[in-house]
Amino acid sequence: MPKLRLVTILLLSGLLVLAVAPALAGHGIMEKVKEANEPFDSLQIDTPLPKNTVQVKEEYQGGAFWVLSRKDSIGRFPCSRCHGKKKSFKREGAALAHGDIELVHGQGEERPECKSCHNEKNLDLLSDKKDREIDFDHSYQLCGQCHFRQKSDWVGGAHGKRHTYWIGKRVVWNCATCHDPHSPRFKKRWPSTYSLPLDK
Amino acid sequence: MKCDRRTFVKGMGLTVAAGGAALSAGCSSMPSSGEEMKLRFHEYFKENYRLMTQLEKEQTVERLARLAKLNHDIDVQVGTQEPLEQVLYGYAFNVSRCEGFMDCVTACVKENNLDRNSKTQYIRIFEMEHGETDVGSGDGKYFHEVPVPDHYYMGVQCFHCESAPCIKACPTKATWREPDGIVVVDYDWCIGCRYCMAACPYWGRRFNWGEPHVPRAEITKKQHYLGNRLRNKGEMEKCTFCIQRSRNGKLPACVDACPTGSRVFGNLLDPDSEIRFVLKNKKVFRMKEELGTDPKFWYFID
Amino acid sequence: MKNIHINEIKAFVKDAVIWNLQGDTTYRVYIGVLMLFIAGGAYAYSVQFTYGLEATGMSNIVSWGLYISNFTFLVGVAAAAVMLILPAYIFKDKDFHRIVIIGEGVAVGALIMCLLFITVDLGGPLRAWHLIPGIGLFNWPTSILTWDVLVLNGYLALNLLVPAYILFCQYHNRKPDESKYRPFVLLSIVWAISIHMVTAFLYEGLPARPFWNNPLMGPRFLASAFAAGPALMTVVLLVIDSMTVFKIDKTIFNKLRLIITVSAIVNLIMLFSEIFKEFYAPTHHSLSAVYLYFGLDGYNSLVPWIWTAITMNILGTLMFAFNVGKKNVKMFFPASVLLFTGIWIEKGFGLIVPGLVPSPMREITNYSPTWVEIFITLGIVAMGILVITVLIRPALIIEQRYQEHLASKGEEH
Repeated sequence: MPKLRLVTILLLSGLLVLAVAPALAGHGIMEKVKEANEPFDSLQIDTPLPKNTVQVKEEYQGGAFWVLSRKDSIGRFPCSRCHGKKKSFKREGAALAHGDIELVHGQGEERPECKSCHNEKNLDLLSDKKDREIDFDHSYQLCGQCHFRQKSDWVGGAHGKRHTYWIGKRVVWNCATCHDPHSPRFKKRWPSTYSLPLDK
Repeated sequence: MKCDRRTFVKGMGLTVAAGGAALSAGCSSMPSSGEEMKLRFHEYFKENYRLMTQLEKEQTVERLARLAKLNHDIDVQVGTQEPLEQVLYGYAFNVSRCEGFMDCVTACVKENNLDRNSKTQYIRIFEMEHGETDVGSGDGKYFHEVPVPDHYYMGVQCFHCESAPCIKACPTKATWREPDGIVVVDYDWCIGCRYCMAACPYWGRRFNWGEPHVPRAEITKKQHYLGNRLRNKGEMEKCTFCIQRSRNGKLPACVDACPTGSRVFGNLLDPDSEIRFVLKNKKVFRMKEELGTDPKFWYFID
Repeated sequence: MKNIHINEIKAFVKDAVIWNLQGDTTYRVYIGVLMLFIAGGAYAYSVQFTYGLEATGMSNIVSWGLYISNFTFLVGVAAAAVMLILPAYIFKDKDFHRIVIIGEGVAVGALIMCLLFITVDLGGPLRAWHLIPGIGLFNWPTSILTWDVLVLNGYLALNLLVPAYILFCQYHNRKPDESKYRPFVLLSIVWAISIHMVTAFLYEGLPARPFWNNPLMGPRFLASAFAAGPALMTVVLLVIDSMTVFKIDKTIFNKLRLIITVSAIVNLIMLFSEIFKEFYAPTHHSLSAVYLYFGLDGYNSLVPWIWTAITMNILGTLMFAFNVGKKNVKMFFPASVLLFTGIWIEKGFGLIVPGLVPSPMREITNYSPTWVEIFITLGIVAMGILVITVLIRPALIIEQRYQEHLASKGEEH
């Protein structure tokens, strides 16, 4: 009889442990994340590198990465096709070709003007504050001089967008894929859909 | 043992009613042909996906593709891609970037073949006033030009909890967490009791109250058994991180569609991944963390 | 047991069927009406089966409605049979021993209704075999719903087998062997408590739903069940007393009254405790209670129901407490109906719907059942009543005959 009682107690406590153990183990997701420090073979799936991609001149925590080309999405590139020897940089040019450009970028004294970014000597290039020449495809170098926090987030992956694949060679969108450099804020617009009122 | 069980089930089925099988699964209309009847019969008596052998998986996927051809006259590919090794998916949502355009919702509806009749959506975007953090204070039914000044936007969907209450609730093990962390539903195993729905603190699950309908031309044909394949009435469904895309290396449709880059998706076990960068360098929080559900979905602020 | 022949069982079943088929016009009309309701329910279910649960008023927010409300309440009614079984078999109370069979019949009827309500609530009823352990995949012990499947079916079996054995012996004028059925009776007592606690745990175990995630849920389920169940028994006994030759002793009603009064008072105290918690220091988690008692954001469809329920509840309790049936037991009828209905509303609709409203995202929608739901519900209730009738009628006849047999034997000696 005492033996039977012992068995019952053991059985019951066993059940209790079974029920409670998972809750007490506390092996949460953050523990798993902290333990995972081995490099992951990101190239196990061979994702196609999109056309019009250039390798970024910097590295992210995982090494080399690529950015969508900017030049390919500027319709009339190279600029020197129009802006040849005869310079038409100021008033006339705006009226002729870039009348649609509205410069809504920055505030007060920080507000840039055309030549803050465009290279006056060679319009096929950009130039930064220190007059260093910057390729259109690497415009992140230019944007990053003011927006350095966004840039470091972009390099690391907290700002901007990855292109199509989460695995494979890392390809990201360039700054201007999302932001119109002359007016970088997103335009107000209607949402593309809506959620149904849930009451029938 | 397993063989015996299957034989028993099938034997039982034969004696009980072939008609019952005909009414099963999709059963809004009576099968129009002997072939469809046979397919439905086999579908009715198939196993839970997790117990299927590779052969059984291939057979059911073939049947499903054939049924889609018979019922909707379309050619679909239903995949059964297994999880990748050393992968655990995680998601982060940038609360300061989202502007409420809802392109994610549109993409999700299209990609996942969500029912157009009931306008089912896996993702909700709540328009929140500055100063509030409780999603309940937000407006999930807004329809006006966005963004509205002094407001921010917060997206909510299935958070693929590590300790998911829905999985605990399910009486038939029709919903579970895959090795890569995705919480999935075996639609054909679900009995439609909706206990998981009551158990989810994030309103992450959707039920097919009626027969779901997707216009033929809009059906996404690249499908996964546990993902966007066509569902039937009476079945539970939910976000699967677009399993048909993510297991092939692609970003979920919502991440891909987001015009503001508010959505970050990647492998939590890859120390170099973007999601890990966010967790390491940003101030993140999770919704209703006090419930101990351990979601794999973080919110962060620039 | 050695002497049981297949022929004996055949005779037993045959007579039981025959007694059920015989009856006067009133009885036939009564059965006819029940059948009519069942047919209506069957038709409504065929509609629901064709169009899916779309045919109901439920939505992704209020994902459980009338069916689960009734299920929850009726589990209590079934569990309440223990309030007759306990005194009858354990305390050897002679009065209760005579009517315990009726209590068990009511419990079986209630359980059948419970199982039917669960079945009609399923999105894929034809896949119910996925729930059968061994054939399907049974998520036991993790899912509380699997516990509920086990305890409900087990309780149904216990409540069918014990009375069937006793009646079978009595039918053949043999004394039931107590040592054979007593272990099962003891088991059924524990089991009765468990069916209602497990059903409470279904809700209590969901942190997602603060209105349900409340440790008082189980005990309160029991208290309300032990008030509503015996109240229903009182009604059934009063009907039997006035409609059949089987007469019920007044002392039974008085004993039932004691059980009802104590349980109803405990239930009200617990209700008060819940209301205090929700409204003295309201938090986000109190929104469901606000919705239930006062309405939220202009949605207030439950408000009239819950106040009606509470009024009925208090009135019924007071009537029992002040013993309105002291002179005329028929006065227990309105008191029982008030209490029973009050608890039905409160523990059905008033418990399930506000648990789901507002949604975890604090979105609100009103729920009102469609005609399909109402017809199916009425059909199931009619089915339950039919089952109770069909079980109790032959049981009473057998009991009566056995008592006469015992009396005549006594005379012989």
